[in-house]
Amino acid sequence: MARGTTVKMWRKTIGLLLVLVVGCFGAIAVNLFRLQILEGEELETRAVNQQTQDTSLSAKRGTIYDCNMKVLATSADVWQVVLDPNFIRKELVPDDASIQDTIAQRLAQILGEDSAEIRQLMEKQTYYAKVADEVETDKKDEILDLKEELGLGNAIQLQPDYKRYYPYGAFASSVLGFTNSEDQGVTGVEASYNEYLSGVPGKLVTAKNARGVDMPFQYEQRVEAQDGYSLVLTIDEVVQHFLEKSVEEAAESCGVRNRACGIVMDVDTGAILAMTVKGDYDPNDPYTITDEADLETINAIPDDEEHAEERAQALRTAQEKQWRNKCISDTYNPGSVFKMLTASMGIEEGIVNENTTFSCGGSYRVADRNIGCWKLAGHGTETFAQGLSNSCNPVFMQLGEQIGATTFFRYFEAFGLTRKTGIDLIGESNSIYYDAEGLGPTELATSSFGQSFRVTPIQMITAAAAVANGGYLVQPHVVSQILDSEGNIVETIETEVKRQVISEDTSARVSAMLQETATTGTAKNGYVAGYRIAGKTGTSEKIDEWNAAGREGEKKYIASYCGYAPADDPQVIMLVFFDEPVPQNGEVFGSAIAGPPFAETMAEILPYLGVEPKYTEEELAKLDISTPGVVGLGVEEAQTKVSNAGLTYKTYGSGSTVVSQIPEQGKSIPKGGTVVLYLDEASTSETVTVPSLTGLSLSQVNARVAQAGLNLSITGAAASGSSAVSDTQDLAEGTEVPPGTVITVNFVELEAVH
Amino acid sequence: MAANISAGAAGENAAPAQDRGQKRRKGSVLRRVRKRFRLFSIRAGMDLPFFFLLLVLLTIGLVMLFSASYPYAYYNMDGDSYHFIRNQAMYAVLGVVIMIAVSYFDYHHFHKLAIPLLLVTYLLLIAMLVLRGSNFVPNLNGAYRWFYIGPINFQPSEVAKFTLILVFSHLISLNYEKMQTFRYGVVPYAIILGSIAGLVILEKHISATVILVFLGVLMMFIGGTRLRWILLPAIIVGVVAFYLLFFTDVFSYAMTRIYGWLFPFDPPEGVDTWQTRQSLMTIGSGGLLGLGLGQSRQKYLYLPEPQNDFIFAVICEELGFIGALIILLLFAMLIWRGVAVSLKAKDKFGMLLGVGIMFQVGLQVVLNLMVVTNMLPNTGISLPFFSYGGTSLIMLLAEMGIVLSISRNSSIEKL
Repeated sequence: MARGTTVKMWRKTIGLLLVLVVGCFGAIAVNLFRLQILEGEELETRAVNQQTQDTSLSAKRGTIYDCNMKVLATSADVWQVVLDPNFIRKELVPDDASIQDTIAQRLAQILGEDSAEIRQLMEKQTYYAKVADEVETDKKDEILDLKEELGLGNAIQLQPDYKRYYPYGAFASSVLGFTNSEDQGVTGVEASYNEYLSGVPGKLVTAKNARGVDMPFQYEQRVEAQDGYSLVLTIDEVVQHFLEKSVEEAAESCGVRNRACGIVMDVDTGAILAMTVKGDYDPNDPYTITDEADLETINAIPDDEEHAEERAQALRTAQEKQWRNKCISDTYNPGSVFKMLTASMGIEEGIVNENTTFSCGGSYRVADRNIGCWKLAGHGTETFAQGLSNSCNPVFMQLGEQIGATTFFRYFEAFGLTRKTGIDLIGESNSIYYDAEGLGPTELATSSFGQSFRVTPIQMITAAAAVANGGYLVQPHVVSQILDSEGNIVETIETEVKRQVISEDTSARVSAMLQETATTGTAKNGYVAGYRIAGKTGTSEKIDEWNAAGREGEKKYIASYCGYAPADDPQVIMLVFFDEPVPQNGEVFGSAIAGPPFAETMAEILPYLGVEPKYTEEELAKLDISTPGVVGLGVEEAQTKVSNAGLTYKTYGSGSTVVSQIPEQGKSIPKGGTVVLYLDEASTSETVTVPSLTGLSLSQVNARVAQAGLNLSITGAAASGSSAVSDTQDLAEGTEVPPGTVITVNFVELEAVH
Repeated sequence: MAANISAGAAGENAAPAQDRGQKRRKGSVLRRVRKRFRLFSIRAGMDLPFFFLLLVLLTIGLVMLFSASYPYAYYNMDGDSYHFIRNQAMYAVLGVVIMIAVSYFDYHHFHKLAIPLLLVTYLLLIAMLVLRGSNFVPNLNGAYRWFYIGPINFQPSEVAKFTLILVFSHLISLNYEKMQTFRYGVVPYAIILGSIAGLVILEKHISATVILVFLGVLMMFIGGTRLRWILLPAIIVGVVAFYLLFFTDVFSYAMTRIYGWLFPFDPPEGVDTWQTRQSLMTIGSGGLLGLGLGQSRQKYLYLPEPQNDFIFAVICEELGFIGALIILLLFAMLIWRGVAVSLKAKDKFGMLLGVGIMFQVGLQVVLNLMVVTNMLPNTGISLPFFSYGGTSLIMLLAEMGIVLSISRNSSIEKL
């Protein structure tokens, strides 16, 4: 036997060696190949995710401009104040806590916060503790000074951020919407165009070790934020301003209970020039409740723990209500405004013409019941044009019957009333309606004068625009252009015509009838001299609610006015709508409530939009005259000049030259008005007393004003019909004013109109 | 020179003295002549391929230890990034000196040391039980593996491994002829292995127990114990373990650990797989070519104690798949060469001792790498020549000295 290794031992050893070196090492090598080559990337991603710390770099949100590039919403630089408690403890003051107190106190002083809270943040085991958000530049500078003074290094960091500002406050808030604390749009274009506006946040990636401290080597990767795109709206700040002013005043004076809204649209392009909801909010502070009734409801709930949930719920409900854009989210019965569509169907189908005669006996029998006209006495025999002007329900019930359910519904659909308009705002609702099968005789009859179905205001105005513009149903929109952060145009929103619903001829004929309606008919409260308004009022009963309440209690109404101008070449269309008005004098008719704000707005925006006035003889006669300047002239010369201007004069005092005049040069007064000429200084102190001028006819007002030695300027419905009644005066009764002062009196048509 | 010592030692040695003494006397004239040449002859020198492979691995080990440990040292040793490398380099130099010294020491002297060392080992392991929980044997993560005496700390289980190899080599080389029998081929080894492994398992040191059992069985197998005596208990243990694991809840805790091992990124509740997850992420980050020496990112406190058991993960991250393969290859070459040298030893004692030591290294490397790459559940086991630890490095290098000593007497062709 050998002393050394035997063959057996040698074989066994080599066998085991092969198992160990080839088998085990081989398996390990294969596994390493799997881990490093096959699954390497996945594992590395996991590793990198834990090793790096991402800091988001905010992207600047795009600006929102009106059509004239006025800034309606913008993002301003603000700063986040962040503490690095780890750094403060370990690097800055390992043993001395007093500097931490100092930092806390000084920071609290600058930011107006509690120093104890800041001091507590410094105890956290972290490198990131946010102290304050949205810190403005002046405070940021103070903090920078503090850092320098105390030599704080990275202990306090200022990270750039942005805050959303709406320079005009509540202005156009229903269109603009607002952003939440994460800078994301919640409603309005802020929400519907959020992805364009918000941009792409950048990223700062820094390496961190497992304790969250920066690694001793440099590793930093910066991906710059990409600023958001800007929007150019179709909204015109001037038009918006006049619409808001008129709607707000009217809403206040009629005590509307369920908010009011108004839309102004370009009839040809569908561009929304103005859109407002009254009972809206300030997007700078969207969570504060503006509606007083809602505030009272909330405050009536005790502010204790037991009612906390109820209170929070009430607050949420009120917030959601004020954020809701009534123009696109709420449906209503359009009432008589809808008659312009029924009329268009009748003319287009050749069932009626302007002179087709109808008779109205105060009601019309449909199936098993009589459905009344607003005028219980009836309108007697009338032409179709008169029927529209009178807003006579039996005329339209008969027309509806002749059109038939199938054709009626085909038009109803073609006018876009069965689909959302697709306006570029979020929260649009769809209409509720009977389809062709559902339109029985009663439903068809009531539908033909705008009851028994519900549409949104935006659907109604879009359909009405088709009546005005030659029959084309256009796509309403509020954004005209999208710009990149350098101001280059990224996208232009073009006019989109969906279809032609009625012929241009029908459109023109209906427009002519509607102009008559707005001049002498039931819609004359919307009349504006010289601008050929075509319009229709609507007073719809909330029948469905009343039925739901068991046909008992108070009936609620919606007053609306929809019209456009000029009738011979329509350019702008406007719809105002007051939900549940409670007027003092008990009148809830559309013409009385919705007509004046319509006329007021149109009178302001049509000249602004460059629509040329064309006056009739009658209108010219009533046209105001600009007072000539005669101060410094001789008495006779002055008198001649005033007379030549078509005005009368009255002199006060004694002297040979005019020392002052009332009204002053350039002020408009009606033809035949009086210019008071003062010939000495002493007489300028003379005054007259303003008489009461409300509730009177035009001639009565004229007489009283003349008697008092004042000049009259009239607004509202007085220009045409004789039934208009004075409603308000701009100078209060009993005020002492110089003679010749111009007093403005507004007239409304109070004749009961449905 | 080695032969000189060997000759002297053999004379004093009790058991094999007669056998070798006779041979020596037979060729004593010749040997004297040779002796002059032997001092300078190739046969008297140590195996240089083994020696240099060793130095290369040790050097790479030190470089990687420095790279892996400096962030950990920076954050845990008051900013002293050099804490670990300073100590380890010191021990490495000391270890190499000891290794060379041992290589000149005739390994036959270890015949005499076998039984005394076995007694010392028992003493140590029993002391571990007695002193458990005291300052000498503190509870570290629920286990009692380390023995602290003054400035020195070591794991008696490391001593036990060498003891086992030495005692088995000693006994097998004496009783080689009777290894086929149950009495001489099984009983003594089963008693020694069972008692040592039993004591080590009481320290809750699973990995050391596994290595001890593998080493013991492996040496018995090479030594000539009949395969049936090895397979039978292995099958019984396997069946019992299988039954307990899957049909009782005795090892329910082990089951959840196993799930944690199989799904480290989605572990069952209560199982902490942080270390395994970090190790896998570290290895994966390296890719084919690695992030470059010193560029590991995972060593920044993500990978727990990167200077210890998981140093290979950092190697994978910094040197990539290629670098890791080279390290694997170097280990394989070292083990191969060590075994080859031992197989050519001039006697069975040297052969068994050398093979045992090399397989110990090999097992340790394989277990460590399998744990680091999650082929085995996580258990504390260090990587020879790489992991931080002064006493264990010195012990390891001393054992390498024994292999070198064997190589001086080996008939392998010296390169």
